[in-house]
Amino acid sequence: MTGTFSGLSPTRWLMIGSAIVLVALFPLVYTDPYYMTIIVTAEVVLILNISWNFVLGMAGVWNFGQLAIYALGAYGAGWLMLHQTWMPAMIAILCGGLFSAVISVLLAFPTLRLFGIYTSLLTFSFAQVVQYVALNDPRGLTGGSYGYPTVPGLFPNMSQTSYLRAYYWVFAAVIVASCLVVAWLRQSHLGIALRSIRDSPGYTAARGVNPRMTRVIAFGLSGFLAGVAGGFYLSFEQSFTTSQMGLTPMSIDVTMLVIGGLGTVMGPVIGTAIVTVIQTILIDYPGWQLTILGATLLVIVIFVPGGVVGLISRTSKRVGAWVEEDSDAVEAAET
Amino acid sequence: MTAALDVSGLVAGYDRTVVVRDLSLSVEAGKTAVVIGPNGHGKTTMLLAISGLIKPMSGSITLGDERIDRSSAESIAGMGVVHIMQGDGLFADMTVEENLLMGAFVSSSWRGRRETLKRVYADLPVVESKRDQKARTLSGGERRLVGLGRGMMRPARVMLIDEPSLGLAPVAIEAVYAAIAKLRAESGATVVLVEENFTHIGGVADVVHILETGSIVRSGSFDELSNDRTVVETYLGSITDVTT
Amino acid sequence: MTDIVAIIVNGLVYGSIYGLVAIGMTLIYGTLRILDMSQGSMVMIGGYVGWWALATHGVNPLLALVLAFVVTFVVGTLTELVSVQPLIGRRGEVDFEMVTFITTFAVGILLTNVALQHFGPFQKNVPPIVSGNLDVYHGVSISYHELTMAGVSVLLMGALGLFLARTRWGFAVRAVAQDLDAARSLGVPVSRLYPATMGLASALAGVGGVFLGALYFASPTAGDLPLLQALIVVVLGGLGSLTGTLYAAYLVGLMQAFCEVEIGTTWTLPILYTAILIILVIRPYGLKGSPSEARL
Repeated sequence: MTGTFSGLSPTRWLMIGSAIVLVALFPLVYTDPYYMTIIVTAEVVLILNISWNFVLGMAGVWNFGQLAIYALGAYGAGWLMLHQTWMPAMIAILCGGLFSAVISVLLAFPTLRLFGIYTSLLTFSFAQVVQYVALNDPRGLTGGSYGYPTVPGLFPNMSQTSYLRAYYWVFAAVIVASCLVVAWLRQSHLGIALRSIRDSPGYTAARGVNPRMTRVIAFGLSGFLAGVAGGFYLSFEQSFTTSQMGLTPMSIDVTMLVIGGLGTVMGPVIGTAIVTVIQTILIDYPGWQLTILGATLLVIVIFVPGGVVGLISRTSKRVGAWVEEDSDAVEAAET
Repeated sequence: MTAALDVSGLVAGYDRTVVVRDLSLSVEAGKTAVVIGPNGHGKTTMLLAISGLIKPMSGSITLGDERIDRSSAESIAGMGVVHIMQGDGLFADMTVEENLLMGAFVSSSWRGRRETLKRVYADLPVVESKRDQKARTLSGGERRLVGLGRGMMRPARVMLIDEPSLGLAPVAIEAVYAAIAKLRAESGATVVLVEENFTHIGGVADVVHILETGSIVRSGSFDELSNDRTVVETYLGSITDVTT
Repeated sequence: MTDIVAIIVNGLVYGSIYGLVAIGMTLIYGTLRILDMSQGSMVMIGGYVGWWALATHGVNPLLALVLAFVVTFVVGTLTELVSVQPLIGRRGEVDFEMVTFITTFAVGILLTNVALQHFGPFQKNVPPIVSGNLDVYHGVSISYHELTMAGVSVLLMGALGLFLARTRWGFAVRAVAQDLDAARSLGVPVSRLYPATMGLASALAGVGGVFLGALYFASPTAGDLPLLQALIVVVLGGLGSLTGTLYAAYLVGLMQAFCEVEIGTTWTLPILYTAILIILVIRPYGLKGSPSEARL
């Protein structure tokens, strides 16, 4: 999914459009609540992954604090839902997103002057601090190890089938919207600027692009999305524990991103889908889940660093070239 | 022991940038070839390819009768190639003595390292006087001598020396070239010495090659080339600056 | 006064064990320039070896330590071959430090889950190496096990120091850490040195794991906390600086002892991590690391 929107051919638009329609129609035909719940949960995880992938692909920075920011969005939204009951749930979630965005921006500043691994360490430490503070819960804000108290969800008065569908559509809409935004940003001035900063910082600085502002913006946007994802999770699952931001979910998310293809638009979607399927199949064997995921992560990082998206684009290029060869040969034979 | 070095059609560079294009150079056993050329044209790249620190893209490099262009840097070192790198390549946090001892790392040389060390100290008293100092505290000229001393810590069939006069004051340069002269005399190695210009090389060069834009464009004896006005003017102001 | 003695005694004990685990990470960073996120798993493996040897087979404690050393040396070497070595040829293409962070992390996950599969999720008791306590001061006592732990740690760290300062391969490791190409040009076989270095570092953590097992049980996740603690020490000391790591280990040990005695255990780690955050902002190269490596 590269190239400008204006440059996308009508066939491409048709494909995207039909995909969206199919996705939207899906819950009308499929209603098994067990699998729908899995799908909806996966959607929230996907939103989080999209946000994480965004800051990675755009700023070239592994923000290991992403899950902490996600959690903070959940806590922020939750607090508003519990203590500002006049506020509609969606607004609370959006406010949670803003809160996360602010924290994310603050986190961005110290990373501006640090080299790669130090940024990882910085964000990692930040995540640890947030996790421990949340766990110990000094002011009763997070529910400590018991998890957040129950909040009213987004659709409190619907039947299960209905609210599953409602959540599905809301989340799907957010996913589609963010994918489109990410795709647009990638080929906008901002996106190109960010990627050229990552690839050759000196040159871009010489061209007058301000790398600091662009990274801060990337952090802010991804923080907002992560915070919103947190709020979504809290509303749907009706709980949020500190284990949501621990090393295990982090490893799973990393695996999803890597399998899908880091920095690409469709990468998180594919990666989240694949891993969710694996997890669902192995639901009774949690140990095997992680072993397989760990092994897959290792194999992909070393042998297929572009992930599935990378693999597909390379294969389609090869097929395209092979087709060209064939048609050239046919032409040559005919003349 | 000493061997001839033959480079043929060498193409080398970094990532996708080609710096050395179709370079061919032959040095007879025991002779010293000096390669002169402007900066950025491939002199250092050529030496790095010979010692195996970068992989040649194509071409062949032969040491005596063995092809070495596909070998690893460590095995090439084991075959008796000593590379004295540009910028010295000293281990900044090790003492001078430790740096020298590292020069004898190759297993065949390690045993006799203490004796070799004594000989090197005898040849380079300046280096001995700094033996316990950390390499990072030395002056440019001193570091250069330590680099050369380190190169003398194992028997060399081929020695590659990259811009020994770089960044040094004239007095230091004289000391460095005196050491190089001793080195040649004692080891009898085949030497490829790279410099930016003609100054100082007269005493060491058996043959001079000019490297421009990635290949050798001109070769000859020192006398021939130093009498050629255009060459001299390109590579160093005027003839009167050329010393022997 | 009792407090002060308790802090010092506990601080020194903690410091020694942190030193042992963290010094491996620093060794790896200095030589391979990677952050090895599988070090924690090596501690965990050491704990299991300790359990297997001491609890189920009644093996001589010294032998148990040696066994842990050997097992984790092998696992560490294999880890390098699987998660780092394949990436070395491609240093130009990929962000080497970041990718190896992930691959070593992935190996850590794998090892944790293999342990989970094999040994089950429940903690196992690891008997102490030496039993009994020593009274140091009024009410402050230290177990012989902890004393031995501190002693062995110091011994091993000292041995490492001697190895690096006096032996041919120790020189080679230092050379590679300071100037990779110069080392290669002198004949150092880097492709053999890397796995061996990682094996050695892992082995040190493995020995630490046997001791820690008696204090904190052997379990699949026993390595998580030591990994985090080692990261704290390594950053504080300065990535790549062995002396820095040493100082940092004891400093962190004392800080932890102080927190435990005066404030309460729950706040120790977040305080330490906040300290890292501050350090990374103000002085990322820590106590004795090199400024050029951290700042842009």
